[in-house]
Amino acid sequence: MNWSNKRVMKWLMLVCALALLVPLAVVGCTKPSPPSEEPIVIGGSLPLTGVFAETAKWIEKGYRYWAEDINAKGGLLGRPVELIIYDDASSVEKAVTLLEKAITVDKVDLLLGGYPGTACVAQMPVAEKYGMAYISMGGHMPSFEQGYKYSFGSPPLMGQWWAEGLGPYLETLPKEERPKSAAIITMNNVIGESCRESIVNWMNKLDISILVDEYYDLPLASADALVSKCKESGAEAMFANGFLADGALTVRSMKALKYNPKLLFQSVGCLVPAWVEELGEDANYVFSGTGLHHKLPYPEVQRLNAVAKEKWDIDYAPDYFLFGCCWMQTLQCGVEGAGSLDNTAIKDYLHTHEISLIHGKFTFDEKGLPPSYTYLTQVLNGEVELVWPPEVASTKAVYPKPAWAE
Amino acid sequence: MPSSVEIGQAILSGLLLGGAYAVLSAGFSLTWGVTKVINLSHTVFALVGSYIAFWLLRFLGVEPILSLVIIIPLLFLCGLAMHGIIKQTAKRAKEITPASLVLTFGLFIVTENILLITCKADPRLITTSYSGKALFLDKVALPISSLISFALAAVTIAALYLFLHYTYTGKAVQAVWQDKAGAMLSGIDTSRVTAITYGVALASAGVGGVCMGLIYAIDPTIHLSWLIFIFLVTVLGGVGSIIGAAIAGLLMGLVIGLTGAFLPYAWVNLVLFISLIILLLVRPQGLFQR
Repeated sequence: MNWSNKRVMKWLMLVCALALLVPLAVVGCTKPSPPSEEPIVIGGSLPLTGVFAETAKWIEKGYRYWAEDINAKGGLLGRPVELIIYDDASSVEKAVTLLEKAITVDKVDLLLGGYPGTACVAQMPVAEKYGMAYISMGGHMPSFEQGYKYSFGSPPLMGQWWAEGLGPYLETLPKEERPKSAAIITMNNVIGESCRESIVNWMNKLDISILVDEYYDLPLASADALVSKCKESGAEAMFANGFLADGALTVRSMKALKYNPKLLFQSVGCLVPAWVEELGEDANYVFSGTGLHHKLPYPEVQRLNAVAKEKWDIDYAPDYFLFGCCWMQTLQCGVEGAGSLDNTAIKDYLHTHEISLIHGKFTFDEKGLPPSYTYLTQVLNGEVELVWPPEVASTKAVYPKPAWAE
Repeated sequence: MPSSVEIGQAILSGLLLGGAYAVLSAGFSLTWGVTKVINLSHTVFALVGSYIAFWLLRFLGVEPILSLVIIIPLLFLCGLAMHGIIKQTAKRAKEITPASLVLTFGLFIVTENILLITCKADPRLITTSYSGKALFLDKVALPISSLISFALAAVTIAALYLFLHYTYTGKAVQAVWQDKAGAMLSGIDTSRVTAITYGVALASAGVGGVCMGLIYAIDPTIHLSWLIFIFLVTVLGGVGSIIGAAIAGLLMGLVIGLTGAFLPYAWVNLVLFISLIILLLVRPQGLFQR
C-alpha cells in the first residue's frame, strides 16, 4: 500500500481528535451522581425507664416529632435526620456514659439534650469536652456558670428566675393589697435553694418581711410542724419550695391547720395533672412559674397542641413535649444559621444571633442563657392557667386566695 | 423562741409520726431478733401495703383501714414464702445474716422495680374523706389522718405484744428467739415458728404501710428512707423487742418534733442520728434488748 504522507497525517489527526473529543462527549452526556442521602445523626440519652420516665417519654416524643416533621420538609441542610436515643434508666452515671458513647462510638453529628436538672448537669461538661453544642434545660444557674461555651438553655431550668412572673405581678397590685409578710419552706437541695433565691430577692425588692425561712430534708414526713410555725408567724404569703409530694402534703396540712394565707406559691409539681388528681379542689389558687406552656398564644404552640390531639388524642401538648420540640428547634436554628454541622460554628451562631422559637424570639448570652423570664401560672378550676404577663395570660389571677373548699 | 402552740404542735405531730414508725419497725425488729435475718425488703413490702390501700380507695372507694382485710393475709402469705426462700439459702450459706442481707436486698430491688412499672413514679396521696381535717386541742391541730394512723399503730403493736406473750405460738416464737436448740428439744417446730414469725412480721409491715400512707406521700422509692428510720428505731429500741420498737418510735418522733420547733428544721436528721450515736455509746444494746 502506498500511503502518501498527507493521507497519513489526515488519519492521524482524525484519530487524535477522536481521542480527545469522545471522552469529553462521554463526560458531557453522563448525568452527575446524586448527592449523598447520608442522614445527620443526632444522639443522646433520656430516662425512658425509672423514676423520670413518665415525663421523659414526652421529651422523647418531642424529639421524634421534630425529626419526623423536619424530614417531611426536606431534612436538615437537605439531609434526613436520624435520632439515637439511649435509655439511661434515670441514672446520672449512665447518662454520662451513654453521651460519651454517642460521641465517641456512634460518632453522632449533633447531640440531644438530656433530662432536665439531673442528667443535664452531668452531660454539659461532656459536651464541652468534645466541643459539641448541647441544647437542654440545664440544671439551674450553677450549671450555667461553669464557663461552658457549648451549652444553651432553651428554655433553661432556672430556679433563680422562678419568681420572675410572681414579682412583677405583685408589683401591679396596690401596696396595701400585697402580702406584708412571707413564710418560705424549702426542700434541702439545689432546686429548692435555686427557687428560694428568686423568692427572697423579690420579697426584699417588694419590702415583704420574711418571717419564716426553713429548710427540710426530703422526703417530708409531715408538714404539720412547719405549717404550724408559718401559721403562728401570721405570714400572709406562703412559699412551698418543694416537689409535688411535699407540696401536696403542705397544702393538706395547711387546710387541716386552717392556715389560709392571701397567697400560696408552690415551686415544683403543681403544673402536672397529678397535682389536681391528688388534691382535688384544694389544688386551686396555687401560683407557680414555667418557661413554656401549652396555653401560650403563639401559632407554633397551638399547632403543637393540634399535633398532640391528632397523634395521642389528648387535649393539649404536655409541657415536656413542648420542651423537647423547643430544644430541637434551637439546634435546628443553629445548624441552619451556621450552614453546617460544625459544632463550633453552631455555637458561635447561637451566641451571636436572635432565633425564632415556638414561644418567641430569643438571644443567648455568654452563659448560653436567654434574658430572664418566667410565666406566672395559677391553678384555677383544676386547670393550670397563665396569669402573667398580660400579653400571654389566658385568664386573670385570683388574689387573695379564697377559703379552703369544704 | 417558739410559741406554746408551736411547741405543742411539734410534740403532738412528732408523736403521731413516731407511732407509724413504731409499727413499721416492730415486725422488722421481730424478724431480726428471732431469726437473725435483717430483712432489707421489709419496708418495700410495707409500701406494697400502702399501694394496695391507695388503689382500693381510688378505684373501689374502700377505706384504707378496711383494705387491711386484704393486705394482712396477703402479706402474711408473702412472709411465709420469704421464709421458704430464706430457709433454702440458710442451708447453703455459712452465715445466715450476710446471706440474707444480699437476698433481701435483691427482693427490695425487684419489688421496687415492679412497683415502678405497675404504679409509675408519680407520688400518690391516700386521700380520704377526713384528709385535710383536724381536731383541735385549743390551737393545736390533730389531723384526723394522723390520729387514725396512730390508733392503728397502737392496736397493732398491742396485738403483737399480746400474741407474743399470751398465745402458745407467740411464746414459742420467744422460745426460739431465746434458745433455738432448747426450743427444738422442747418439741417446738422451729421451722413452723420462724415461718409464722416472717408472716406476722410482713403482715405488720402491711399495717405499717397503711399507717405511713395516711401520713406520707408514697412513691416506689420512698421505702428506702423508711428503712433508714426503722433501722434507727430497731437499734434504739433493742433488736427483737416490740415494746422497745414502740418506745423508740415515739421517742424518735418526739426528737423530730422538738428539734424542728427549737432548731432549724434542716437539722432534724442530724440531731436524730447524733442522739442515736450518743445513746449507743451509753447503752449499745439499745433501750430494751434482753
